Amino acid sequence: MNKWGYVGKRLLKTIPIIIGVTLVTFLILHLSPGDPVRIMLGPYATPETVAALRAQYGLDQPLPLQYFSWLGNIAQGDLGTSIRYNRPVTELVQARIGITLTLTLAGLVISVTLGSILGILAALKQNSWLDYLCTFQAMFWISIPGFWLAILLLYIFGLQLRWVPIAGLSGFASVILPALTIGLQEEAWFARPMRAEMLGVLNEGYIKAARAKGVRYYRVVGKHALRNVMVPMITMLALRLPWVIAGSVVVEVVFAWGGMGSLLVNSVLARDYPVVQGILLIIALSVVLANLLADLVYSLIDPRIRVEGGKK
Amino acid sequence: MRIEDLQVAFSTEEGPVEALDGVELTIHQGTFHGLIGETGCGKSVTGQTIMGLLDNNARIKKGRIMYREQDLLKLSSRQMERQIRGNEIAMIFQDPGSSLNPLFTIKNQIEEAIKMYRPVPRERREGLILEALQQVKLPDARNLMHRYPHQLSGGMKQRVMIAMMLACNPRLLIADEPTTALDVSIQAQFIKVLKDLKDNLDLTILYITHDLAVISELCDYVSVMYAGRIVENLSMYDLFRDPCHPYTEKLVNSVLGVSTRLDQLEEIPGSVPRLINPPPGCRFHPRCSEVLPVCSQEVPLLKEVKGLHSVACHRR
Repeated sequence: MNKWGYVGKRLLKTIPIIIGVTLVTFLILHLSPGDPVRIMLGPYATPETVAALRAQYGLDQPLPLQYFSWLGNIAQGDLGTSIRYNRPVTELVQARIGITLTLTLAGLVISVTLGSILGILAALKQNSWLDYLCTFQAMFWISIPGFWLAILLLYIFGLQLRWVPIAGLSGFASVILPALTIGLQEEAWFARPMRAEMLGVLNEGYIKAARAKGVRYYRVVGKHALRNVMVPMITMLALRLPWVIAGSVVVEVVFAWGGMGSLLVNSVLARDYPVVQGILLIIALSVVLANLLADLVYSLIDPRIRVEGGKK
Repeated sequence: MRIEDLQVAFSTEEGPVEALDGVELTIHQGTFHGLIGETGCGKSVTGQTIMGLLDNNARIKKGRIMYREQDLLKLSSRQMERQIRGNEIAMIFQDPGSSLNPLFTIKNQIEEAIKMYRPVPRERREGLILEALQQVKLPDARNLMHRYPHQLSGGMKQRVMIAMMLACNPRLLIADEPTTALDVSIQAQFIKVLKDLKDNLDLTILYITHDLAVISELCDYVSVMYAGRIVENLSMYDLFRDPCHPYTEKLVNSVLGVSTRLDQLEEIPGSVPRLINPPPGCRFHPRCSEVLPVCSQEVPLLKEVKGLHSVACHRR
């Protein structure tokens, strides 16, 4: 089977996953207490007004019917209309997705780069003060709650030192703190496995054999060892992606970025079902796609991994 | 190459292990030199010490490794990397399966060696790679070099290893039990390849093994090692006709030849001593049938028997 056949098959396999995700998000939202119409109209609305508005959004229909009509609309690319903003969900998301992507990507770049470098250094200088320092800092950042770290960074670099703007998205300087918050939080997830994988690979026979050829040590590490740790590291990347997105939701709110994260939080509070469902669906899709991409990248790195099947 | 009084210790959780305790070994240029001994006697450690590729918990306590008028042990790790490993001394290892990087093609891995030591234009490199593969009798080299290690059999991988190391153009090749992991039928093929190399190249090999049959096929000289010490240096001819050390004698007699019957086969009583707490004096004395009182008190030194034949035994 060729590569594209494999991709097609993998994409088909994601359909049940996506359906499962839609079902769970739909049920959690609709079965949890709170009514979007009552939240919107306030405590003094007459029962008639409430009923009329509920009918307008189709909320008076039985749940299965609501679910299937939502699914049907998704299939046509329509994520529904926001109850709170009274605008199409796609429109709301489109205006904000770039902001969230920026933050997620910047956070990932920082965490992967920093984590990889520190992990490799810790492995090369195993049991040295550098190794212990790497462990310590990883545990330090991962133990701080994200929102608190965000506020702390804001206070120090935004309020006291005034190096960067304290809120909003205005140019490169404003990206630094939010991206750093996510980067530092996630970095441990790459530094620790990188250290462990590297230590394992450096004990392999082919490392000794490459050195016996007289290959310079930095090249042995940079070429022979690094490529061999890439498969587990890419797995880690795909695994951490949902967490990075979740982290950016919080960080976005703290830094008042008005991205998808803020939209999601506000919509949950308002029980704006279509928006919450739409955003969760997009996040779920991106995670599924990231995993598919990771699987494809494996076979590019490791010739033993056939695109048809798993690891040999 | 001359190794003098080499002592290497490993620190382990159970305490220091004296893996090498005064190894004396001379390898003459252009010869195939066998280093034989039981598992755990320090053969591989000797090879790795020469290469400067000992594990982190090893410590060289004493000794010299004289190679072309310089002491390898005095060179920095950088000098070993740039001046010695690869283009002077190369090494192949016991397990061909793990000695090739699974993620790179054969071509890529041989090319890496050629790039370092032979400044030829890119177009000519492929020719050199092919030549290296043909030298070790690998069929269909043109196709083979684009394959990955996992697509090759163990015997082929081991031949690729040799080709890769020979591509570095070393004067001395250390082969650490290269046939141990191979099937017997493949072993013969592999040894034939080495024999051809011996006839056609000006190559010195230190062949580490516990297999006397392999040594007798290939080597000119043999050093017998026991528990971290060389007990006898002798020529191939003398090994079977005039072994002087009781251990060498027993080792030769314990080999199952096609003509010998099982009841003629001798076994060596006892087992290899643990190097964490080795017996005093001659380390073989607890297993020796000709033991003298002095054997448990004094370490026997290598004494010349005749010419290049020397033995470390109080009886001789």
